[in-house]
Amino acid sequence: MQSFIDSLIASGIFGGLPAEAVYPAMMFLFASLVVFGFVLPLVTITIWLERRVWSRIQSRVGPNRVGPQGVLQGLADGVKNILKEDVVPDAADRPLFVFAPYLLVWGFLATFVVIPFSSALVIADLNVGILYITAIVALSAVGVLMAGWASNNKWSLLGGIRSAAQVVSYEIPAGLALLPVVLLTGTLSTQGIIQAQGWAPWDWFLFHSPFTFIAAFAFYISALAETNRTPFDIPEAESELVAGFATEYSGFRFALFFLAEWGSLYVTGAIMAVVFLGGWQIPTGWTNNTVVLNIAQLGVFFLKAYFWVFLAMWIRATLPRIRVDQMMSLCWKYLVPLGFVNLVGTAVWMVIWPEGNAFVPYLMVVGTLALTVIFFRRVLYHLRRAKPELYFNPAI
Amino acid sequence: MSLAGYEFEVQRDDGLATEEMTLNMGPQHPSTHGVLRFVVKADGEIMRTALPDIGYLHRSIEKISEKVGYHGFMPYTDRVDYVSAMQCNQGWAMVCERAAGIEVPRRGEFCRVIACELGRIASHLLSVGTMVMDIGGMTPFTHAIREREKVNNLLEDLCGARLTFNYMRIGGVAWDLPPGYAEQVTAFLDQFGPLIAEYNDLISYNKIYVERLANVAAVSKEEAINYNLVGPNLRGCGFQYDVRRDEPYSIYPELDFDVPVGTGEVGTLGDCFDRYIVRIKELKESCKIVRQCLDMIPAGPVLARVAKKLKPPVGDAHVRVEASRGDMGWYVVSDGSEFPYRTKIRTGSFSAMSIVDKLSRGLMIADLIALIASLDVVAPEVDR
Amino acid sequence: MASSIGQYLKHAKEAAATIFEGMSVTMSHFVRKPYTIQYPDRTAVRVQDTLPLRYRGILEVDLEICTGCLACERACPIDCIVIDAPKDKATRAMLLSRFDIDIAKCMYCGLCSEVCPTGSIHHTTEFEGADYSLESMIRRFVKDPVLAYKAKKGEETDPLIAPILDRGLEFLAEWAEPVDMKKYKKAQEEAAS
Repeated sequence: MQSFIDSLIASGIFGGLPAEAVYPAMMFLFASLVVFGFVLPLVTITIWLERRVWSRIQSRVGPNRVGPQGVLQGLADGVKNILKEDVVPDAADRPLFVFAPYLLVWGFLATFVVIPFSSALVIADLNVGILYITAIVALSAVGVLMAGWASNNKWSLLGGIRSAAQVVSYEIPAGLALLPVVLLTGTLSTQGIIQAQGWAPWDWFLFHSPFTFIAAFAFYISALAETNRTPFDIPEAESELVAGFATEYSGFRFALFFLAEWGSLYVTGAIMAVVFLGGWQIPTGWTNNTVVLNIAQLGVFFLKAYFWVFLAMWIRATLPRIRVDQMMSLCWKYLVPLGFVNLVGTAVWMVIWPEGNAFVPYLMVVGTLALTVIFFRRVLYHLRRAKPELYFNPAI
Repeated sequence: MSLAGYEFEVQRDDGLATEEMTLNMGPQHPSTHGVLRFVVKADGEIMRTALPDIGYLHRSIEKISEKVGYHGFMPYTDRVDYVSAMQCNQGWAMVCERAAGIEVPRRGEFCRVIACELGRIASHLLSVGTMVMDIGGMTPFTHAIREREKVNNLLEDLCGARLTFNYMRIGGVAWDLPPGYAEQVTAFLDQFGPLIAEYNDLISYNKIYVERLANVAAVSKEEAINYNLVGPNLRGCGFQYDVRRDEPYSIYPELDFDVPVGTGEVGTLGDCFDRYIVRIKELKESCKIVRQCLDMIPAGPVLARVAKKLKPPVGDAHVRVEASRGDMGWYVVSDGSEFPYRTKIRTGSFSAMSIVDKLSRGLMIADLIALIASLDVVAPEVDR
Repeated sequence: MASSIGQYLKHAKEAAATIFEGMSVTMSHFVRKPYTIQYPDRTAVRVQDTLPLRYRGILEVDLEICTGCLACERACPIDCIVIDAPKDKATRAMLLSRFDIDIAKCMYCGLCSEVCPTGSIHHTTEFEGADYSLESMIRRFVKDPVLAYKAKKGEETDPLIAPILDRGLEFLAEWAEPVDMKKYKKAQEEAAS
């Protein structure tokens, strides 16, 4: 990014403007471009996808009126939310109440800085990328707690406190689950981690050893908890806390909560793809055109990220919510010990096979495929038992 | 209810001053199943007490009966428990028949039982569906409601309404089964049976779900009887009592069905899960009953001729029916005129509310939701 | 220690197995046909046309066959039906000068159509009753006073009224016919012997 601006300055496109002025202006322009041109459509599509996935699972139709198959439903909802009155309760702590949603959105937007969409498409390849992500994601906890406190509503307060406890706790297993990969690669940079993997599944860290496999799912569970997804949606638990921290919010600020929720869902998927699924890695040698290569990488990256996003939607449509104390015991009694086991196990693995075991990755890929086959046999079993009317068309 | 006596209390027993938080759950709350209010005193997530505050849905239905007469009161009984209106219809019809000494044609009794058991399936489906929804799972709710819609379609074919049936009359039922009804119902039951198994696979034995319900708010047999729990709530405690079997009415003695009870299979006997799983088992029993009725139903009339202005002799009558929420008592006093002198309806949800205060102590707020859902409280039935 | 590790693995295994099972159920729903319909504009047939004849929708009165017997007004538990049926002084025939049904009050119980001797008042399958004011919810069926219908001996011969009466009787036929239990039992015993 910096080199790109440097080259623009060198080409004299800004005339004699000082570089100190050009840098912030370009950064601001680029950030707006990312937010409005990329993140908003991304979130809109994700929300639409979630609603359609849900509706099919629930024998419903789902949004299909605004735009082709309802893709623009998010746009309609956004317009509706912006046009609505933005109510600030009398008793609320006004500055905090107004500021909290922005903090939440900031928390997830900032992670986009280090997500590498392709070998060239990355805003900044920080050498502490993974650390940066785990740190900046915790910012959303501050936003939620702030929203819960400032609303001056007991339900909101409970939601905010639950969220704080949840995010602070699950930071630890999430960090621990990322450590084995950091051990293996010796770098915290997201691009570095991707480059250490290959395009083939057996070159991914997911299938590197049993420990990384478990670590991937431990991280995924922790990430679901950090983004307040079911089964960890206890901060906004609508059947218990009405709407949790978002109870008193309305209008555009309420929409921002949704933006943050589904945005961070995509971020979760992206991190999973980067760390465990080989990110944008594709087979090389079939083209020399950098643009084509990058587009292909982008496509592969999106597929991988959306696999995990889809999984989260599917889990949300299947599972009920866990209780606060169970959430804590799952974190401290199950995931944290598991994280340490993974860490030590990976270290031992590296001592025994410094270059990685040649045989285990293939075995694990085959095992995962076998599991998938068993799964679809179960699906067939359910279909045979219930004898429903079949309908294969995704559109309706 | 005034809030006197429920102000903040400061406890200084362990040196650290903590305040109890008084939470007002309801009357507008997503999971209080209607307009119901709980005054919750909580220490963080842990509840000290949850006091139910009822009366937001009081419509003086009992008083209305004194103004509209015996026949005219029938549609109002739909509103006593609108989730399973059939049994309320039957209760009122039976108590009037007992007071006036009216005999019901045999086919009419079969029609009543078929309608009641279909209504029970619909009611239990709503109950188990909303229970999962309160625990946080959305999909099982829609699946249960989808099946409930199919039952409602059947009832609509039978009596023209989906919720407030007004199907029964004093002396029988207002509509005979429509042509081809047996085939329709059997087709539904055939496809519904496997779906109960699928529902169990999807949610009932899900680890998270079981963890949320097992050992939560367990009621012992003695407690249940002392607090007057009835129906599935009582059977969930392992006490096998069903009005249909133990104080038989209508044609139930001729039918073969089990009375499922809770067994404490995942936790303590009488916990939320037991109350839930009893309802799932009762769905199967109801299917069994409907199938038997469709096989056994005789030909003949369904409605006995009753005076337009029914004037039962002076005296009173009391009947009990097994509604979806348990033993429902109907009591009517007649002074010989065409209007009842007094009507009293005893409902299961009302007595279930009394145990909430005791059970809620020491639970978490999330557990209170599970408790209310597992008691299957329907707010209009509490207040009437 | 060993037992707690065993507990740990047992819980993890149970959770994995049941979640696996539940997710296979939800996955199987991706190929099932949605049950909901897209009311009102994307249904194959109008929803009203799919409803059974017994459906208790908004009330309608066929004035041509109304006998002015007031049975419906008496049966209504909430008095939402108001009928004025004065006698014409000159011809001594019954006139219907007012037949109002307050749809806002009506609870669709069907007690009125049950007692109607000709099926004049009956439920339609129409259920969309939203309106802008309570006043306009009152359906006034009598514009100008009309003569009440008088049942004839034998078949109805008037070609204008006959189809309406047939339709009314069709509605009426849905209702169960009350029987006198004493007579019925006697008849049955005789048949048995």
